[in-house]
Amino acid sequence: MTLIQLDDVGLKFQVRRSGRISFKEYLLHGMFRRARRPTFEVQALENVNLTVGEGERLGIIGSNGAGKSTLLKLLAGIYPPTSGRRVVVGQISSLFDIGLGFENDANGWENIQYRGYLQGETPRSIRAKAQAIADFSELGDFLNVPIRCYSAGMKVRLAFSIATAVDPEILIIDEVLSAGDLAFQAKARERMKSLMMSARVVIVVSHDLEALPLLCERTMWLDHGKTQMIGPTEEVIAAYTEQVNGAAPQRIAA
Amino acid sequence: MTGYFSEIWRLRHFWMALVRIDLQKRYRRSVIGIGWSLLHPIAMTAVLCVVFSHLFHQSVHSFAPYLLSGLTFWGFFTAAVMQGCQSFLQGEPYIRQHPAPLAIYPLRVTLSAGFHFILGFAIALAFVWWINGFGNLPALASLVPTFALLFVFGWSLAVCAGVANVMFQDSQHLVEIVIQIAFYLTPIFYRPEMLLGRRLVSWFVLLNPLAAFLELIRNPLLRGELPSTWAVRLASLGTYIALITAALALRRFEKRMIFYL
Repeated sequence: MTLIQLDDVGLKFQVRRSGRISFKEYLLHGMFRRARRPTFEVQALENVNLTVGEGERLGIIGSNGAGKSTLLKLLAGIYPPTSGRRVVVGQISSLFDIGLGFENDANGWENIQYRGYLQGETPRSIRAKAQAIADFSELGDFLNVPIRCYSAGMKVRLAFSIATAVDPEILIIDEVLSAGDLAFQAKARERMKSLMMSARVVIVVSHDLEALPLLCERTMWLDHGKTQMIGPTEEVIAAYTEQVNGAAPQRIAA
Repeated sequence: MTGYFSEIWRLRHFWMALVRIDLQKRYRRSVIGIGWSLLHPIAMTAVLCVVFSHLFHQSVHSFAPYLLSGLTFWGFFTAAVMQGCQSFLQGEPYIRQHPAPLAIYPLRVTLSAGFHFILGFAIALAFVWWINGFGNLPALASLVPTFALLFVFGWSLAVCAGVANVMFQDSQHLVEIVIQIAFYLTPIFYRPEMLLGRRLVSWFVLLNPLAAFLELIRNPLLRGELPSTWAVRLASLGTYIALITAALALRRFEKRMIFYL
């Protein structure tokens, strides 16, 4: 059984004006009520209700800053909801910020191991997959070089190859990733497609409004952290494009 | 609770790999490799021995292992706390990608600090055996629970320091000062007996869990004796308090910590 359910979920960020709070500020604030409050709040998600069950593929669309990535991170369990309830049944694999999380002084092979372990692999299972990951990344001898010597594109290639070398139950993808050069991008798109076919539940953020109807039966349109519309993909996309085209031209960021 | 630990255990390959790379990273491009981590306490011991054995009228033979065990312990303590401060910030890229029990990041720094501690301790032990012959085995066996306790103590402190540092960015400076003061209130380079007659300071040492840990380590090592019940109790109490604080800190802040990283 796989299931994702959000009941009236909200997420409020407390943003600090300057990085983290200092102990001094905390004490001052505690002792003198008049001390300036150093944080302000951003309501990133509000009253989101969502149920995605076995075999479903859900697309998420919306303009930049609508809360799509935040919603994905909340679904993946990285952000806790500050109100409401999140229920997940099944093992989640997520694909976002994939350039992050390398040990810079270790070489490519070692990083394949570390990332694999974090994704729940064991030394035995990762040994079996390491070659396939290396082949897919096409990095060849560079895998023997410490990661700190890699270019940004090479890192993304490696990260993508590792992250997609799993057999996911629930797959959560931020499609707004450009993995490497043109040739690799085409390959990456193929890999994503096959992953989406094999996963039991897929949730994908996409800006590719033409491809989305082929992938997802249902789509959610987020706007300023709220569900604007949820339903059959074609209808939602039609409503979304209409709203975007109706608005001032500079709002067409998507 | 058990779920939390089984999750940590499930990810053991991950944090053990991180510990391995931390150790490798420290020595990868150095000529004498692992020797560096031994050189530091040994050099300190040599220097302090030269200075203080005259000042305190101590024989070098007994004072050197006394100092070495003290400094090695202190190295573990400061590494757990200071690197504990940085542990979550260091693990941020991973934390942002995969939900995992956050306690594994302080665990990472505690384990690599523990590795250096064991090395330093082995040298002190070898030194004592060389001078005095093989020690009292039951007393040495008491070191096994001591090390286990010390590990829990270090891990808990690292968690506390890490949470504090994420929530308040200046905790690290505060911690540095506290550690500096604690260094002089802990009998590392002097003997607790030297404080007799100085009421206030000797109280500090008597009630200091760090001093209790030192007794737990030094009694079997240097004298072949079991530690006193008082020291066992005090060290256990200190560990218990640290553990509870760490558990409460995690319970309260673990979920929210991502917002402050």
